[in-house]
Amino acid sequence: MKNTAVTVKKMLRPGWGSSATLAVASVVLSLAALCVCSFLAGASPLKVMTALFEGALRGRYALVTTLSEWVAMTLCGLAVLIPYRAGFFNVGGQGQLEVGAIAAAAVALSLTAPRPLVVLVALLAAVAAGILVVSVPLVLRLRRGASEVTTTIMMNFACVQFMYAMVTGPLKDPESWYGTTPAVPEMCRLPSFPPGTEIPVGTWVAVLITVGAAWLMSSTVFGLHLRAVGGNRPAAVAAGIPAERVFTKAVLMGAALAGLAGGLQLLGYTFRVAEGWSKSWGMVGIPIALLGGNPLGVLVVGLLFAILETGSRSMQALTGVPAALIYLFQGLPVLIYLGLRASAWYSRWARAAR
Amino acid sequence: MEVQWWADFLSAVLRAATPLVFCALGVLVCGRAGILNIGVEGSMLVGALAAVLAAVYSGDPWMGVVGALGVGLAAGLVLTLLTVYLPTDQVVTGIAFNLVCLGVTSFIYKLLVLGGVQLMAPALRAAQDAEGAVSLAGLAAAVTPLTWIALFLVAVSWVFLFRTGPGLLWRSVGESAWASHAAGLNVFRVRTVAVVVGSLLSALGGAALTLGWVPTFTDNMTMGRGFIALAAVYFGRWHPGLALAACLLFGAGEALAFRAQALGTGLNPYYYLMLPYVVTLMAVAAMGRSVEPRDTGKPYARR
Repeated sequence: MKNTAVTVKKMLRPGWGSSATLAVASVVLSLAALCVCSFLAGASPLKVMTALFEGALRGRYALVTTLSEWVAMTLCGLAVLIPYRAGFFNVGGQGQLEVGAIAAAAVALSLTAPRPLVVLVALLAAVAAGILVVSVPLVLRLRRGASEVTTTIMMNFACVQFMYAMVTGPLKDPESWYGTTPAVPEMCRLPSFPPGTEIPVGTWVAVLITVGAAWLMSSTVFGLHLRAVGGNRPAAVAAGIPAERVFTKAVLMGAALAGLAGGLQLLGYTFRVAEGWSKSWGMVGIPIALLGGNPLGVLVVGLLFAILETGSRSMQALTGVPAALIYLFQGLPVLIYLGLRASAWYSRWARAAR
Repeated sequence: MEVQWWADFLSAVLRAATPLVFCALGVLVCGRAGILNIGVEGSMLVGALAAVLAAVYSGDPWMGVVGALGVGLAAGLVLTLLTVYLPTDQVVTGIAFNLVCLGVTSFIYKLLVLGGVQLMAPALRAAQDAEGAVSLAGLAAAVTPLTWIALFLVAVSWVFLFRTGPGLLWRSVGESAWASHAAGLNVFRVRTVAVVVGSLLSALGGAALTLGWVPTFTDNMTMGRGFIALAAVYFGRWHPGLALAACLLFGAGEALAFRAQALGTGLNPYYYLMLPYVVTLMAVAAMGRSVEPRDTGKPYARR
């Protein structure tokens, strides 16, 4: 009983120094802001909210879209969360995802082999691409002491331009008038699971990985080391923890997940890499990781963000409120959350609650 | 023909570089006071929209500049509250701020152009328009006044930061906020001024993008230019003059990308657009963190 209480307490106050309460509060406040904006746009907030959630959850097509979005958002959230725990701010999820998708596309379009093998090799290529992309900022951080924030941002833009160069160059679909790869052949697309339900298999992969990450971070030696290295590196080193190895592992793990997200989205959702093919999944991973605070939280916040992303289209169609408003929702909760957490009011409240 | 091409190309470089120069200065003055201004992209975007709206509704491009400055001030105050006074993590705040700005600008613009009419702002161009022929001699006349303002501000910020007493104090806050505090400086005040000035400059960058180049607004029209400016600052070793050189180099990359087909090099134009980021990464690899102001990006809280 006591153990459960401790676990629950831990979940409420996860490693990012956050409390789930605060995250929920900022999400609710942001939804309220969304209502105000829809009111300003001359639409009824109630209708907007209904359109938003119904557009994402009602009907087979909408649900499948939401689940597919969820895959990328969860994995990209983890791609930020895990390295962050070790003290590496991976802003580069977007680039890792784009290049991961390109690598998967290159494999899927050129390799002729049995389906499981093609899928496996393509996903491995995506993972390897993600790792390759992060290795530049990682080496610069380890060897040159360069802040990974700037270098991962630079890598993002370099990767996006590289992706554009690929889809308008070597990997271009000769039949298309704009820059895109050909659609990956039917035979190497990801199946749905259970068969016939259209639930993308990537969803299960993402859930399993999240559960695995939660276990890894809370119940293994690696997780303990991770927290130690991220919390106080000199102390961790003094305690004999191989800080650099733990750090490197965490960073590579994160980038691998972002790359994998690219591969999964290509093989299970978009089937093409094209100019502007991806949402800013990699970027949105940052708010998701921050608000989620731990792997399971990432799963929940990822679902919410996926719902809003999918629902925004039907919101625009049904109520006339521009879908672009959803970007506001991706940023605002973070600002509210950070602002509240840093405020004197919150520290007083947290002290009283303790 | 050859001379014509060069004149045309140079004016294109200046046109592409001007927004970058403003934004790079916006990053630089903030960074020198210890605030990593990731929100530059968002400030630029709101500045671009404000410039278009103010110019369209007043009919005067200079009112557009004023509008951009007003909105830049507001953005600066928001960022100041978040990054200086609370203070929050500058990077996460900056990224979230950019997302909010993207949402807000797209939202406002869509509401205002419900009829589907694109708002065309009166351009801030001097003699010729973009398509008009530019002679080499006429180059000076072909650049917008904003380009001259940008160049002037580079000189001003260099003199201020590196040749005056207050500039020295400003930089000391960026190098070590605690030491500056101990020396009797009000770190909060310096950083407030820095963030506000930085946002004003970024918003001017947005105005230069719309009034001096593409006289209308589109969703996310800055397309990462704020981050190119960030790259220029790193590549330019946190020095106004070198950052200006970096902006011109990156502007040339962008101008070349548009002309790649005509050049007949066969190189995919997107490789030119990769240039800013790749050379910046190489510069970081060569220099490491040695040139970055030490306390940039670290929140400073009163204890």
